[in-house]
Amino acid sequence: MREYKIVVLGSGGVGKSALTVQFVQGIFVEKYDPTIEDSYRKQVEVEGQQCMLEILDTAGTEQFTAMRDLYMKNGQGFILVYSITAQSTFNDLQDLREQILRVKDTDDVPMVLVGNKCDLEDERVVGKDLGGNLARTFNCAFMETSAKAKTNVSEIFYDLVKQINKKSPEKKVKVKKPRLCTLL
Amino acid sequence: MMLLPTATTLTFQQDFYYSVAERTKFFASKCRSLSPSLNTKDSSPKGKFRFSACTSSRRSNKKNNTKWYIKQPTWRLWGEEKADGALYTVYLKKVRYHRPTRSLSSSHSDSDDEISHLEWETVRVRFVKAGTLKRLVEALATDDGELETTYINVFLATYRSFSSPKEVLRLLLQRYEELADPPENGKPDHHEQHRKTLISALHVWLDSYPEDFKESPHHPALIQLVNFCEKYLPATELEAKVRHRLDRYSREQPPKITDTLLIPPATLALRTAVPEWKCYRLPNVPVRHFAEQLTRMDVDLFKKLVPHQCLGAVWSRRDKSRSHEAATVLATVNQFNAVSFRVISSILVEPGHKALDRAFIIICWIDIAQELRVLKNFSSLKAIISGLQSNPIYRLQKTWAVVAKEKIELFDELARIFSEDNNQWAQRELLMREGTAKFADTVGENDKQLQKIFQRQNNHSANISFGTIPYLGTFLTDLTMIDTAIPDTISDGLINFDKRRKEFEVLAQIKLLQGAANAYNLIGDIVFDRWFDSILVLDDREAYQLSCQIEPSQNNHVSKVKKKSSGHQKNDSIASNSSSNSSQFYCDIDSMPSSPHNSIERKLSPSQMSNSSSSSSLPSLDVSLNSSHSGRDNKLQVPLNSSGTLSPSHSQKSSPDFYVIKVTFETNSVETEGIVLYKSIMLSNNERTPQVIRNAMYKLGLEGNPDNYTLAQVLPDKEMILPLNANVYYAVNTAYNLNFILRQKKPEEAESNGKAAKSKIKL
Repeated sequence: MREYKIVVLGSGGVGKSALTVQFVQGIFVEKYDPTIEDSYRKQVEVEGQQCMLEILDTAGTEQFTAMRDLYMKNGQGFILVYSITAQSTFNDLQDLREQILRVKDTDDVPMVLVGNKCDLEDERVVGKDLGGNLARTFNCAFMETSAKAKTNVSEIFYDLVKQINKKSPEKKVKVKKPRLCTLL
Repeated sequence: MMLLPTATTLTFQQDFYYSVAERTKFFASKCRSLSPSLNTKDSSPKGKFRFSACTSSRRSNKKNNTKWYIKQPTWRLWGEEKADGALYTVYLKKVRYHRPTRSLSSSHSDSDDEISHLEWETVRVRFVKAGTLKRLVEALATDDGELETTYINVFLATYRSFSSPKEVLRLLLQRYEELADPPENGKPDHHEQHRKTLISALHVWLDSYPEDFKESPHHPALIQLVNFCEKYLPATELEAKVRHRLDRYSREQPPKITDTLLIPPATLALRTAVPEWKCYRLPNVPVRHFAEQLTRMDVDLFKKLVPHQCLGAVWSRRDKSRSHEAATVLATVNQFNAVSFRVISSILVEPGHKALDRAFIIICWIDIAQELRVLKNFSSLKAIISGLQSNPIYRLQKTWAVVAKEKIELFDELARIFSEDNNQWAQRELLMREGTAKFADTVGENDKQLQKIFQRQNNHSANISFGTIPYLGTFLTDLTMIDTAIPDTISDGLINFDKRRKEFEVLAQIKLLQGAANAYNLIGDIVFDRWFDSILVLDDREAYQLSCQIEPSQNNHVSKVKKKSSGHQKNDSIASNSSSNSSQFYCDIDSMPSSPHNSIERKLSPSQMSNSSSSSSLPSLDVSLNSSHSGRDNKLQVPLNSSGTLSPSHSQKSSPDFYVIKVTFETNSVETEGIVLYKSIMLSNNERTPQVIRNAMYKLGLEGNPDNYTLAQVLPDKEMILPLNANVYYAVNTAYNLNFILRQKKPEEAESNGKAAKSKIKL
């Protein structure tokens, strides 16, 4: 089964972890253990293929800035999350994207722009059109989601898998991304 | 042997043991599958860790005599039980126990030795699963009126997520007063025991979380306790403790701000006293000494870390109104970044260096990293690995090509520790194995270089023992995830205490390691500190540019051209595009005593900053280096190093506690036409639109109903109207000047209220 490494990025407080938990666990659970090996792994079927998604959620470590490069190096697809209720979280994404392109050394990186918390319509400050515009300049997909209301959550992950498939069909990905340290 | 810093007694085992038992199975199975690659000395890999956790009972409240000595308990889930305002999980437990008879005066003497009888029994054990705050406070004493020590530890470590010290103290004292009345159907002794337990709980609380009672200038919680003691417990140990505490706090110099301001110069003065000829220069430095000094800095911060500041509800939600509440966590994160940045810049900044010179610096850092592994300092170790794996360094292929092969091997082995695979399994496992062990000895079968190193080390220093400094990020992620995944309340609003138990499992590990950190005994070196402060820090864009000057991008033509053009854009936008940068700038301004109003004049920043960075000598580098970032970062080191003054406002990525915004009022009145009258108001971080409008109206001298006004941020080519109930602090666009316009709604608008405002959002 093909494995996909997906990295969820965005400022603190945008609800990244809620998206991940919602996707992996399905529901908010009373018993939950974030420390076991497959806490962030989920098997899904996309385009008739079974895929294993390994999600790297940076929640809680956003401020360990020096580690971002490593996340980015290891990831195959990226979910850039902002909150529609906080303008600054939207602004932060420009820098993150630039950093991803630098690290990947290419302009073509599978990516989805996500405006989260769309259940909080009456606190909205980032218009949907604005998100769409940014996605156009990023040349990537765009969705508004709500982890709380379970809107569009799986969709972002599926879309990303499709993008990765399109960019690197078959098993090419593994060949293209050698283990970090053997490159040297 | 390592001890929990807070009061813990043997009941701690009961459910810790239980959850550990489940996990041990998991580790055992894991171990079998990996057995050839692990140097398994202990048959139970979790053994060391668990053993220490279970025997950590020293500094506990001596008066508390919990007599459950458990040997291999067998637990069976019996079910749930609902009571008024609380929900319990019930287990049946087979246990061998001995229980000494309790003499009436036993509260002051340890009577562990009086074993009266010995037997097996199946007992029913209830754990609070959820409850109202009142019930949770009552549960500090068990049904028998004994102190439930696991429970109180969990409660005190986590209650700030659902209540406040004031509220808990009120309920606790209230409970005590309620127990003064004799029970309706029970024995009066029973109540007496309950009350004693509540007093014990107060002792534990006062001892383990003194900061909960410190609130300058008057410390109302302590005064409340003094009054309570006068009434109910005159001339007791509790009263003496409380009075002494109050006395001490009152005598302390209250204004903390002056401390923060005074200490840096003092430290600087010390540093200038160091002989000028003595300084370090990479790569010719004593690597072991460097590792020890980095560890010394980390130990200081780690011991000061307040575990409950790591909780998801505090750390990952702190942007709302509580940035100061996570100051000790932030200080740790900043130190981690500071180390990584130093790795990166030390390799990049000397423009005259050849590939070989840089390779020597890389090797030097790998050697320091190796020593950090021996010292079990996983924080700085990971920081160095991250620095070496950062894009600007990692991409320097010509440089890496001349690094000796065995050094690359060593680097690979060290980097493997922090592999993200399988939810960072390697690192978690290692921490379990070595967390409270005396020294480092865990290697995989492929770790040839590390094997050699440990062998050498064990021959030399068999009797030296070290603590462990963990990489905090893993705990922070775990706690954030727990906070997200597990609901705060269940069954109609009861506080979900099982969530807090889960969180406490993580906090207990941190506490355990903090205790272990006392094993380090490292002496500071001013020359090292000076070296550390003197290193220029680059932001990731600057570092990348320098890296590309050293080794141009190998990519094809097309992308080169693209890169260049985007590079131009970047330069243009540096001043305005990144809100995180601008908030950093705010921080610095805010931390200075001068007018916070400056923060609006963002355009000033480049000149101010370059002043501060000009002191760092950088002979032949191009302009991009003298940017604001480096200057800011050098400043940042001051609060980090001046021991103990962790000011969140200096932190790198944190937001300030407030912004100053300018608001003008738009009228149709002819008299004021052409005159723009701005008023500055403070916008603190939890204010919603109506409140901000009210503040603005007050400043502008307007009267009337705030609902009849709208507030909009003025952006270069448009306006952003704030929604009716937005969190303004969070919503504003900090990339631009914080200029706002207040408008009176047109009559029809004012009527149709919320919906109308919503539809007007356009950017």
